[in-house]
Amino acid sequence: MNTEVKRRRINLRRYIPLYIMTLPGLAYLLINNYLPMFGLSIAFKDINYAKGIWGSDWVGFKNFSYLFATSDAYIITRNTILYNAVFIVLGLGFAIMIAILLNEIRSRFSQRFYQSVIILPHMISIILVSYLVYALLGPATGFVNKTILPMLGVEPISWYLESKYWPYILTIVHIWKGAGYSCIVFLAAIIGIDREYYEAAGLDGASKWQQIRKITLPMISPIITMLTLLAIGRIFYSDFGLFYQIPMNSGAIYDTTNVIDTYVFRGLMQLGDIGMSAAAGFYQSVVGFVLVLVSNYIVRKIDRDNALF
Amino acid sequence: MKRIMQGSLLLLLSFALILSACGGSNNKDNNGAASGNSENSAESGKPSAAEDDGPVEELIVAFPIISPDLTGLQLVEQEMNKITEPKIKVRVKFMPINAGEWLQRTNLIFSSNEKLDLTYVHGSMYSNMVAKGMLSPLDELIGEYGNGITASLEPKYLNATKIGGKIYSVPSVRDLAGSYGYTIRKDLVDKHNIDLSAIKTLDDVANVLQLLKEKEPDMVPISTGGTQSFRDVYKFYDELGDNMGVLPHYDNGLKVVNLFETQEYADFVKRIREWYKAGYILSDAATNKLSLVELMSSGKVASYIGMQKPGFDVQETKSNGVEVVSAELNPPYSTTSNITVAMWGIPVHAKYPEKAMKFLNLMYEDENIVNLFTWGVEGTHYEKVQDHIIKYPEGKDANSVGFNSLQWMFGNQFKAYVLESNDPEIWSKMKDFNESATPSKALGFIFDGSNVKTEYAAVSNVINEYKLSLETGSVDPDKILPQFIDKLQAAGIDKIVAEKQKQLDEWAAANGVK
Repeated sequence: MNTEVKRRRINLRRYIPLYIMTLPGLAYLLINNYLPMFGLSIAFKDINYAKGIWGSDWVGFKNFSYLFATSDAYIITRNTILYNAVFIVLGLGFAIMIAILLNEIRSRFSQRFYQSVIILPHMISIILVSYLVYALLGPATGFVNKTILPMLGVEPISWYLESKYWPYILTIVHIWKGAGYSCIVFLAAIIGIDREYYEAAGLDGASKWQQIRKITLPMISPIITMLTLLAIGRIFYSDFGLFYQIPMNSGAIYDTTNVIDTYVFRGLMQLGDIGMSAAAGFYQSVVGFVLVLVSNYIVRKIDRDNALF
Repeated sequence: MKRIMQGSLLLLLSFALILSACGGSNNKDNNGAASGNSENSAESGKPSAAEDDGPVEELIVAFPIISPDLTGLQLVEQEMNKITEPKIKVRVKFMPINAGEWLQRTNLIFSSNEKLDLTYVHGSMYSNMVAKGMLSPLDELIGEYGNGITASLEPKYLNATKIGGKIYSVPSVRDLAGSYGYTIRKDLVDKHNIDLSAIKTLDDVANVLQLLKEKEPDMVPISTGGTQSFRDVYKFYDELGDNMGVLPHYDNGLKVVNLFETQEYADFVKRIREWYKAGYILSDAATNKLSLVELMSSGKVASYIGMQKPGFDVQETKSNGVEVVSAELNPPYSTTSNITVAMWGIPVHAKYPEKAMKFLNLMYEDENIVNLFTWGVEGTHYEKVQDHIIKYPEGKDANSVGFNSLQWMFGNQFKAYVLESNDPEIWSKMKDFNESATPSKALGFIFDGSNVKTEYAAVSNVINEYKLSLETGSVDPDKILPQFIDKLQAAGIDKIVAEKQKQLDEWAAANGVK
């Protein structure tokens, strides 16, 4: 018993520096993620500025009813999850592909050059990106409507009014903007792989394709799983800039561009009702939480080591 | 055990340190505020011929602006404080907000409790703001400090702002009615010999647009401002505050109907669609973010439709920087919305509500305050020609003079000076205009949407989704309008219409309207 306590003490002493190192992170979490949770109560109140937040009347789930009064809740939930699912799959795919391709470039200068070019879109502000997209898709002066479509003999398309094109447009923009950046991690992992594997494979006459499939991919698979899991944990949080700025806030295409974040934002800004926006935010948190639990559960079933908790 | 204690003590200490570091900035703010106050009291120590005792307080006043240049406004602020500090012990601090961001910014200001003592109130937000308790009732304050307000606003106008028997905002004195008209660049009228007096209906407008399309290929014949639809600028009904449930023809025997299901609406969007297809309208009207002033001053657009009043052409020429002329499309009507569209209210969290009312009163009483808001500083932004007539300084115009405000919102406009180029009798004409306008049968009625909040939010979302594309002609109404109506039904617009009908009937019974 005594030795047990003693050992614990020694352990604690040894880990004190580590504990101290976690302090700033803990404080950040506490202030940024836990303190605002009191605000969740706003979702259940009829906010009256004369009475203040704490003095306002409780209204139960009344603030939530507008979400479910129309098909809004369904549409924003569907859009958020489907977009993010596509982004995770394609985003990872493209990032890995770019990482492998970059790794195959032998000239140091070209490798750096291509890497910079591919990362560049990540550095551009989403507002600027939205105008770049507009320059392509604008109804009268856009490059696509003015140059490309007439060349193909196709009638101009009102991109900003037709919801059916937006799943593709948003996915392309997302990948163009993000793939270069997310490939960095994979590139680092690939560079870390021992060259001897490739040399041995080369001697045995393995083709480049075989080397990628049998050496590179298996070696980086732990990283792929981890990043995928992290992404799934955030599947109910969408990239606000992408969904708000790129479609130019055009009402006609809300069907395919409205995600939960833009919905909450519009609700707060246009209706000015913080109770209802808080309710939508609360809904987002609950569904997001459930999704993380479920995906983690599934991962644990398949591969215990890779589960988050 | 001791080690554990030490460890946790260390942990606590570091937490305390971090938290105090966060708190530190707050302290600094407080100090800043404190030193500001001491400054105040130092100034109030100066001898002054004031009837009012106590220290000079800083009053924060928010209003929308259209010109991004703020230097003129600072000058006006300084000049205004020379009047208000001795007179009512108030130092005014402007909080100018870009007109396009007004709705968003005020929502943020109120939800974050930002300091604000007096604010411009837009009619479309009014009943919502009152329902949420954002504004203080003003009846007592007006009774005590508001002589200038009651002297310049007839009771019928002031009463039109009453919700639940109380006044929460004071309308500015200006055009309290509206007619709709067609406004076009004067150089084009002269060049193509357009007979303005012959333009009386939207059909006549269409003829002009066709001519413009043919003869001026580099210009877009007609447009609305960014995020506005054509129905926003041409109404043929009493909107009863929010366009959900309206009174067609300003009467309809007080029967509220769903605007979007009326034949008039269907015809209207069909007409706008024809204009769009004929190329009369900006092709990106549904996503356009440029304001009408930007579109007109850059010469991209030739004409527009809008609510009008006496002196409208001079006002528009001034803000557009291009000379324009107008034709009236329908006669003036007076609705509650016409009165409540530009008002001033005192936020419920205002620090100095009495001082705010005293200052508001000056905006209706004191000619100098009105003119500072309206025209800027004499000698810098304008020169006097005669007693009440002014002109811009040599070689300057509205755009280059460095001060350009939305004049109609500031207090009693009938006390404002008149620009040399304008009709010197403008204010008496405006009075006649207000009095000659046909009152809507529901004039004075304000809808309170708090009983149908859920439906209200859902319907607003649906309208936001369809309004711009449908009412700028960007999509085919034959296909989209039925969808729109279905969605409105699903969102519960009928419930809003029924609630509005109920409130309107009660209001009519209480006010003896038949």
